[in-house]
Amino acid sequence: MALKALWRRMTPLDRMLLCGLLGFALLLCVLVFRLPGGSRLVVERDDRIIYRAPLDRDRRMRLAGPLGETLAVIENGTVRVLASPCRHKVCIGMGRISRSGEWLACVPNHLLLRIEGGRSSAEDGYDLISR
Amino acid sequence: MTSSVVDPRELARCRRQIFLSLFIALAVALNTLEFMLPSPAPWFRLGFANILTLVALYLFGGRAAWTVALARILVGALLLGRLFSPGFFLSFGGGILATAMMTGARRLAGERLGPIGASLLGAAGHATGQLLVAWLLLVRHAGLWTLYPPLLLFALGAGLLNGIVADVLLGTLRRHPAFARGTTDQVGGDVSPSGE
Repeated sequence: MALKALWRRMTPLDRMLLCGLLGFALLLCVLVFRLPGGSRLVVERDDRIIYRAPLDRDRRMRLAGPLGETLAVIENGTVRVLASPCRHKVCIGMGRISRSGEWLACVPNHLLLRIEGGRSSAEDGYDLISR
Repeated sequence: MTSSVVDPRELARCRRQIFLSLFIALAVALNTLEFMLPSPAPWFRLGFANILTLVALYLFGGRAAWTVALARILVGALLLGRLFSPGFFLSFGGGILATAMMTGARRLAGERLGPIGASLLGAAGHATGQLLVAWLLLVRHAGLWTLYPPLLLFALGAGLLNGIVADVLLGTLRRHPAFARGTTDQVGGDVSPSGE
């Protein structure tokens, strides 16, 4: 009922735009959702890698930045930020990441957490490098 | 009894200015209200202020829409104390691209484009512009674009809502004598410059 009223409000061009843009957004969502799962977490501070860890083992990390320590966890192959000294807490609000190419950033604390590699990459001879 | 004879074009211009300033004031108020609402991340905004940009676009034309959008972004940022902060550049980039898409499409398609369609285009433009600015200024990392699909989807939902509200508002306003067709569209609007 409400949908019909909405449909009548729109011009034919509006309807085309709605369907086209929604289709485009859903297609992109599907594409991103099908990205391969990542194998390791890489943390960068000012373009330098400060921490690497595999995703298949749970762990808590204290990552030092200019503002203080950002607390992040790996749980069941996903990474999220638990606590951060920054003002807006955007990095906490960004939720969990698990797929290759996804990332979490805390811009005020100069930290970038990103996920690399497919799950079955053979190059993982080590299980942790910390600097 | 005294009555002054005023040039009707002068009167219409005056009326347009007053309504545009009211639109800007309302847009800034909505912008501030939205800022106070809890939000998962600064990217996910509902963009209520865009309703007023749309109304200005449909009542007074493209230049009026640019005036409302730019004034809203600048005054809104001043009011919230975040002028020239990263968040300001995000909303500035988003606002520019959104307004460009809305006015451009309106000019190209004319009456075939309704407020809802324009609002959807504006929402998509806002999402794209924000990410573009974020990519250029903050994180030069291709992974940023994994954020784009959910952002676009959210923006389209918000844009649909804003478009409906703008359409209802336009329907109400056009019934009022101050906005009757013919008194507003011709003056200063760039849709039909033949009136001047």
